[in-house]
Amino acid sequence: MDKASTTTRRTLLKGTAMTGVAAALPTGVALAQATPAAKGPKLLEMEGKAKLVVLGDRPLVAETPASLLDDDVTPTDKLFVRNNGQFPEMPADAKAWKIKIDGEVNAPIEIALGDLMAKFENVTYQLMLECGGNGRSYFTPEARGNQWTNGGAGCPQWTGVRLADVLKAAGLKSSAVYTGHYGAEPTLAGETDKPTISRGMRLDKAMEPHTLIAFKLNGKDLPLAHGAPVRVIVPGWAGSLSTKWLKRIWVRDKEHDGPGMGGFSYRTPRKPIVPGSKGDDKDMAILESMPVRSVITFPADGAKLAGRKVDLRGHAWAGDHEVKSVEISIDHGVTWKAAKVNAPANKFAWQRFTATVELPSTGYYEVWSRATDATGKTQPFAASNWNPQGYGGNPVTPVRVLAEA
Amino acid sequence: MIALGAAFILLAADRAGNLRGKAPAWTPPPKAEPRVVEAPRQPPHHDKVEDLPDGKGREAAFYTCTACHGVALIKAQGLTRELWDNTFDTMLEKYRMPPVKPAERAEILDYLAEQFPPRRRARSGDNPFLK
Repeated sequence: MDKASTTTRRTLLKGTAMTGVAAALPTGVALAQATPAAKGPKLLEMEGKAKLVVLGDRPLVAETPASLLDDDVTPTDKLFVRNNGQFPEMPADAKAWKIKIDGEVNAPIEIALGDLMAKFENVTYQLMLECGGNGRSYFTPEARGNQWTNGGAGCPQWTGVRLADVLKAAGLKSSAVYTGHYGAEPTLAGETDKPTISRGMRLDKAMEPHTLIAFKLNGKDLPLAHGAPVRVIVPGWAGSLSTKWLKRIWVRDKEHDGPGMGGFSYRTPRKPIVPGSKGDDKDMAILESMPVRSVITFPADGAKLAGRKVDLRGHAWAGDHEVKSVEISIDHGVTWKAAKVNAPANKFAWQRFTATVELPSTGYYEVWSRATDATGKTQPFAASNWNPQGYGGNPVTPVRVLAEA
Repeated sequence: MIALGAAFILLAADRAGNLRGKAPAWTPPPKAEPRVVEAPRQPPHHDKVEDLPDGKGREAAFYTCTACHGVALIKAQGLTRELWDNTFDTMLEKYRMPPVKPAERAEILDYLAEQFPPRRRARSGDNPFLK
């Protein structure tokens, strides 16, 4: 790989200011060279990133295998990457980056990031970021889009200012009901005057104290891959609301209608439809709070165990809600054992669960985890409410192990 | 003699343009309307035609689709021809793909539906409500 592309790949994570990066940016990410006989998923080769599974290199989409989601706080190198368009240029002067708040506000704001950081209280939370299409690969037949397993999700630490504080400073009019977000991401065709995606949320979610305009990831300046120098973080809702490379929040007097808001985008049917059918985009509900999900992060799928006693652990989360319980099965759902579930570090963080199971014999077992949230919603056994774009796929998924001694 | 002199004078006046009045001797053709040049398309990725499975319509599909995104996204799909057709509309409407002639669209859809149909099978077999 040539020096220029290595250097530019490095900037995507380290965030060093470089001019002319956009022209030199690799338009594909060099993937691990597979030997001719090798099969299996393509792995990400990017400095500062773990070997995430590449679902696509243009736009760049890479998910975290469950066994790499084991840390209590997702480290930056293990956080999934999901672009809709191309990478923008790394900003030369992050503190001078301008953000605009306009629309149904009494005093529209145009503020430099440095001033935003100084003027509003900075807060740090551990917050779930999850792609709206996480779990899509579990739908049968296939639904359209990136075929995530459970790895379009992570729970790192974010530092920023509360969006609510900024909106209050702008002064919300009584007509304000929704936001619309715009980022600096060029489209795949290279256009910078049109958004690839622009979604928004109801105002009560915008005003929730954990919805942030964020500028640090795990205590360091946002890397380019994760939205440098500033982004939105809307924890517990579809990741596309957490607009990277944030330029503008338009406060609206009606539901936002940017690309990614209408049709089948981020919507699920109100009445279930035949899986694989065309669907009708008229009777759909917008995906908001992400559905309850659990992943076993240890042991790994494919692990060979030296004994029959398994100390397993994982994480569970449920959008706006806490996870109330997690149960484990080793016999395909015939019997279940309660796991211990820890409280979240703060609202909208994921929760650690642990359990010890005794396998009845050596041999092949599938270990299942099933989470229930505080509203009583439980993970189904198969991805349900099929929709052409594959949202809401949150079934119980197995970790397969071989107990050898 | 006088006629010859007069002819010379006339010729000279003509060459000087004095006989034609104020109209310019030559009007350049009107300048063409400047064409709106699209944002230059970066070479999108390192994919090649051969990264798609062989079949009639492979080239058309490759060059039409990978103008924007890579082949991985195409190969990960498993859609009926009807859903591929809807996807094509989404590309045109939402992502501003340049228009495609009907014959070429049909060739591309045939290719995609043949190469990337639904492959994930439900435990109970194909759904009885799908034809």
